[in-house]
Amino acid sequence: MTAVESWKQKLAHLMPPDLAREIDIFETQIELRKQGKIDERVFAETRLRRGVYGQRYDNGQRHDGVRVQKLRLPSGGLTKGPETVWDAPGMIRIKIPFGGLNPEQMEVLADLSEEYADGISHVTTRQDIQYHFVHIDDTPSLMRRLAAVGITTREACGNVVRNVTACPLAGVCKDEVFDVTPYAKACSKFLLGHPDTQDFGRKFKIAFSGCKQHPCGLTSMHDMGAIAKKKVVNGEERRGFEFYVGGGLGAVPYRAQLFNDFLPQEELLPIAQAASRVFARLGEKRNRARARVKFLVANLGIDEFRRMVLEEREKLAADPRWTDYLSRLHEWAEKPLKPGVSLDGSERPAGFDAWYATNVYHQEQPGYVVATVTLPLGDITADQLRALADIAPRFVKDTIRTTVEQNLVFRWVSEADLPDLYKALCQIGLGEPNAGTIVDVTACPGTDTCKLGIASSRGLARKLRTHLSEASLQLDEAVKGLRIKVSGCFNSCGQHHIADIGFYGISRNVNGYTVPHFQVMLGGKFKDNAGAYGLPVGAVPSKRIPEVVTLVTDRYVRERQRGESFQDFISRIGKKEVKAMLDGLTKVPPHDVDPSYYSDWGDPREFTLTDMGVGECAGEVVSQAQFTLAASERELFEAQIYFDSGDFKKAVLTAYGAMVQAAQGIVKTQHYDISDNEEAILSEFQQRFCDTQLFYDKYAGRQFADYLFKAREALKSRGEIGEDLALRRLQEAQLFIDAAHSCYKKLSELQSASRASVAGTASPGEG
Amino acid sequence: MDLQRINVKFFVENPDGILLTDFIRIFNSWIQASDGEYYDIADYHHVHAGPGVLLIAHEANISIDNTGNRLGLLYNRKQPLSGNNQEKLDFVFRSALEFCRRIEEEPAPQGKIKFGGNEFLFLINDRLLAPNSAATFRAVSPDLEKIAKTLYAGAEFLMDHRNDAREIFAVKVKSLVHFEVLELLHNLQDHGELKKEGSWDTTRSLSK
Repeated sequence: MTAVESWKQKLAHLMPPDLAREIDIFETQIELRKQGKIDERVFAETRLRRGVYGQRYDNGQRHDGVRVQKLRLPSGGLTKGPETVWDAPGMIRIKIPFGGLNPEQMEVLADLSEEYADGISHVTTRQDIQYHFVHIDDTPSLMRRLAAVGITTREACGNVVRNVTACPLAGVCKDEVFDVTPYAKACSKFLLGHPDTQDFGRKFKIAFSGCKQHPCGLTSMHDMGAIAKKKVVNGEERRGFEFYVGGGLGAVPYRAQLFNDFLPQEELLPIAQAASRVFARLGEKRNRARARVKFLVANLGIDEFRRMVLEEREKLAADPRWTDYLSRLHEWAEKPLKPGVSLDGSERPAGFDAWYATNVYHQEQPGYVVATVTLPLGDITADQLRALADIAPRFVKDTIRTTVEQNLVFRWVSEADLPDLYKALCQIGLGEPNAGTIVDVTACPGTDTCKLGIASSRGLARKLRTHLSEASLQLDEAVKGLRIKVSGCFNSCGQHHIADIGFYGISRNVNGYTVPHFQVMLGGKFKDNAGAYGLPVGAVPSKRIPEVVTLVTDRYVRERQRGESFQDFISRIGKKEVKAMLDGLTKVPPHDVDPSYYSDWGDPREFTLTDMGVGECAGEVVSQAQFTLAASERELFEAQIYFDSGDFKKAVLTAYGAMVQAAQGIVKTQHYDISDNEEAILSEFQQRFCDTQLFYDKYAGRQFADYLFKAREALKSRGEIGEDLALRRLQEAQLFIDAAHSCYKKLSELQSASRASVAGTASPGEG
Repeated sequence: MDLQRINVKFFVENPDGILLTDFIRIFNSWIQASDGEYYDIADYHHVHAGPGVLLIAHEANISIDNTGNRLGLLYNRKQPLSGNNQEKLDFVFRSALEFCRRIEEEPAPQGKIKFGGNEFLFLINDRLLAPNSAATFRAVSPDLEKIAKTLYAGAEFLMDHRNDAREIFAVKVKSLVHFEVLELLHNLQDHGELKKEGSWDTTRSLSK
């Protein structure tokens, strides 16, 4: 056999050049971190912005139920972030904008889960795909293979715009105003890597919905939510959005506030950009617990926030990308594979009717349906995903989507094909009914893999699925339609606030032991785009949660009034009564009487909180200046590679580029919008940092700054570039970049001192 | 071909009544008995014909795997191995069989679990290194045959490879004679000792 090439070589012609370049950069950053040339905090945020996330126990220790074991990881002290051991496996989050997938992508996702993870692709509550137990050294190859089929992990984590989600029925929904898919896609593309979205103090989530009344888009719980709307203006029907900002779940849930009841489609992207700029400028950066945009909107008030965004909007230079896509909206329209034919008279295999009742949605387009593939806990094996990639082209075109309920949907299935599709799904173990019912429990990863997990959300979800599926045929119709959502902690990745019955993991100290519990939340509203948040009604030991579900649902069936919703029922009987109902379930027997209470679902270890780590949800707050300085280091590294290969000219040019980039990083501390133009950067650098002597070294004075200007003059003179000169330039560039770091440190200290002084003035009576 | 990311799966002979969830407890006891070797347990018993329950470690994962709806122990070597191919295969098979033996000795609630020694699945979990093709099979066959001959102590066996570029490279090897796990371990051991008398240095660590 011939020598094995790398994925980089093999896929070079298939990867979009910009994606390929980004991955090369990330690979270099990995190398630089290994050499200790990137600070671990900067590297942590860098990898998060590439979707490379930490995982439980990655601090190198794990409680085995008896003692804490130091894990044998041969990292030799190398870390990939604060308290994050290099060789510890991690999670990769893969952005799937609006959940859209095609069979080719599904096949690659299957392959990657097999080769780099544990054989499972996990669909998240925000339409992403996640892999667990991935080694960071494998991530560049993994990313290249994704890039070759048009998928990026960029900005899947970190303080950036996360995956843009949308209703999975968009375009085929009977109630939608119009298809929001192309808008979600354009928004995702426009904001990805946009300079105005790189300096947030926290993540930023956007969702689109085609209608107001259904839950699919969940716009009310997002930082920014857009609901399709039409309006007649001057006799002409125009498209736009009911536009919301400042929603979010987490420990303190906020419902999004109305920003504009009709934002014309042309204004969608500029307003998103302007809002990003306001959030970047005014959002909290130091206190991460209050850094989401919901706090900024609450603090300023929606009117002031709106005023500031509109003012910012006016200042923006026009960008053709704001509206270019609007002329191509018609190109988006999906096409079916086959004519739409109704099911009448078709032979129905065993089990089909139950599946049909829960997993099939009749599209707006006659004869077509959306078929939901129920994924238990959002998990799908490599074989199943590959098989689905085979099954899909028999029934549909590239019209598959992930859902926020952790399932997959096939859109545009001819109804007459459903029995065959069902049989094909059953053959690969995916013919489970109950999609979107009480059995289809949603859960975040919890203690299975999340560093912040307190209790086992997946363990509980597994138990509830089994418990409820066994009873599903006997369940009252009113109960079947309820939603259960479980989070491993208060951060609400399992979206427990918007469930009819929600749970989030907590612990309680009982009899000298720590006992896993779940806080019970009742009355949340999944409908109406996450229309209401549930209220906590009490903490119950983890092992008694299935009884909570039985108790609450049985009582609802018994006592509900005609047509009364679950939310109304809970509201009518009142929190006090609900709490009293649960009282009998809150007792924990002594350890020697029943030790099962002292361990969590699916985990035989005695329960402990020892394994909780520092979360990476928020990422590190790393400024754009720091990122730019890190990028200059990387560029200098590339210059060194050119030097080693004997290309001295390229080495000198690249080293100079690295210096300019470092200067740009420093300028960004005072002038965020500095362009990439070399002249502008040098001029601003001269004026702001040389003329003011801010860049000057205590002992060397302006020497390091001079390296930059001298290098520029030398390049202009076009003299011969030999090895000695190149080496000197590389050394000078390194010194310049080091000086830039020192300058950045000095500026940060000055800023902190200034803040402290302001705080001191503001509180003269303290102390 | 420099063999890496080698996987071996030995199938359970008596899968009826075996609960995947029992392995969470078994693997947890292994973790408690070790000193930081194992990283975590991943439980996927809820998915159909999936990876089952995995014991995750840095060098290799071990799982009670139900892929293809056939329960077995899968040894999935992740980190590179050094040495020649026979040394690597010897290491991987010895490791996999040791884990099988250990599981057979576990007092599982349903009684003892038995692995069939006369059949195994050999995989290379790396589509770049080893695309699932006839060429890979030709390249791998000599080494695979050699280790199979050692395992089966000269008894006849069949190697079944199916070209499918989409799947990872896999060869099913089946002996016509029944073997217990312990016999295979003995066969490897005997062979190792013979080699030791010759030129092999079995004391050398195979892991990088």
